[in-house]
Amino acid sequence: MNDPYKVLNVSPSASDEEVKKAYRDLARKYHPDNYHDNPLADLAQEKMKEINEAYEQIQKQRRAGSGYGAPRQSYYGTTSNGYSSADPTMQQIRLAIARGDISQAERLLNSVSDHNAEWNFLMGNVCYRRGWLDEAKRYFETACRMDPENPEYRQALAAFNNRGYRPQGYQTVSTSCGNDACSNWCLAALCCNLLGGGGYFCLPCMF
Amino acid sequence: MFGYVLPSQSRLGECERERFRAVYCGLCHTLRERYGFAASLLLNYDFTLLAILLSSGDEEPCTVRRCAVHPCRGCRAQKSTPALEAAADRTVILSWWQLRDHIADHGFWSGLKYRFASLFLRGAYRRAGERLPRFDAAVRLHLQALAALEDARCASIDMAAEPFAALMADAAADLTDEKRRRILGQLLYQLGRWIYLVDAADDLKKDTESGNYNPLLYRYHTENGVLGDADRLALAETLDASIARMASAYALYDYGVWTPILDSIFYESLYGIGKAVLDGTYCRRTRTRYGERKKKSNEEAL
Repeated sequence: MNDPYKVLNVSPSASDEEVKKAYRDLARKYHPDNYHDNPLADLAQEKMKEINEAYEQIQKQRRAGSGYGAPRQSYYGTTSNGYSSADPTMQQIRLAIARGDISQAERLLNSVSDHNAEWNFLMGNVCYRRGWLDEAKRYFETACRMDPENPEYRQALAAFNNRGYRPQGYQTVSTSCGNDACSNWCLAALCCNLLGGGGYFCLPCMF
Repeated sequence: MFGYVLPSQSRLGECERERFRAVYCGLCHTLRERYGFAASLLLNYDFTLLAILLSSGDEEPCTVRRCAVHPCRGCRAQKSTPALEAAADRTVILSWWQLRDHIADHGFWSGLKYRFASLFLRGAYRRAGERLPRFDAAVRLHLQALAALEDARCASIDMAAEPFAALMADAAADLTDEKRRRILGQLLYQLGRWIYLVDAADDLKKDTESGNYNPLLYRYHTENGVLGDADRLALAETLDASIARMASAYALYDYGVWTPILDSIFYESLYGIGKAVLDGTYCRRTRTRYGERKKKSNEEAL
């Protein structure tokens, strides 16, 4: 296994508090909520496992050194959703999505004529995995409208409001409200951009 | 279409700016050495980002070099690396097809400048196409798909963005490390989607006047080329979702010395650029500034 301090990106002389802080930050970064239905979820899970193990190993080493304390569990585990479907076709579609076989899932969805809430939810899921985020949101919204009480559909829609991980100091901005820090780039970008504005005849460097 | 992505300058220290400048100038020199002077004019920030994403995370050696823009003082430029060469090859192919697309979209007179540019780039494109035949073929196919969607006046912004996003993702298709290829493929797909949509928002007014296809016109309700508040919020949210996806992919790979620059792009500057485009300040400010400078120089001449 890799050096646990390297995994958490702290020096071996860091205090317990510092190690904990680094671990918490990384756990926030790779938290399953940030990779919900993401095609890279398996890689995030791997990372999460690695940092959990590194943190546990450091704790174990330090406890052995100081000789006190009871073994503790790591803070963040991985979650899995236990949802399933009563309809055999829908269940088949869910399994295809879970396998990552998106085209098979889409084929099956297209063969279903009853576009109920679950169909919309699964179609949204297929779009979401493909990166079609606007379509996905619309299907999830339809699913929630048709079955407002369903926690699974609500959770999927709520994932859009999860802004994901950002390091400290980066939390505030978004496209709809953020600081318009663009002023000093625009002219340079125009000059460098042949295809955007026919800037081919301008000199290419701003610097 | 290219040229929107830039790290947020206020976040970066002098050392990081220097590093970004060095890779930017390094890509320029690589383009010129591999494809001639005309190709070096294709340089822009999006391709610089591509070069960074394809780089190993190690510190690369730099040299001070002179060029047409820095004839006396010279500038610190990164020495050519496999990543810079790969980015240069992709730059030429992507720009070439973009150029062909512009020629097809414009009439004879308005498309003249693109024809002129393509004349100078034909040789460069041939060489790049020989180096990357698969990528070249893939880009051609994706752009054909895009043209078909434009003809059909596709009303889904995701379907319309798909070919462009997929051709960006193809820029990572040759990587041998499977994990890295998956991560970079996802990141570039969403980057392509984001660029396509930001470009569509930027061109909305122009396309309304000219009648050119723009997916936002079919997906949202616009009045005189301006989105209503609710629609603008919806577009901003879908752009945010793309950036969040990019950031989640970015977090899974270690980019070494490039981390501060990439952090500032994926955690901050893309939001600012998107906002400026949606507010209409991205373009207008550039144009007014350019207009003012022109006016000023006219006055001085008088």
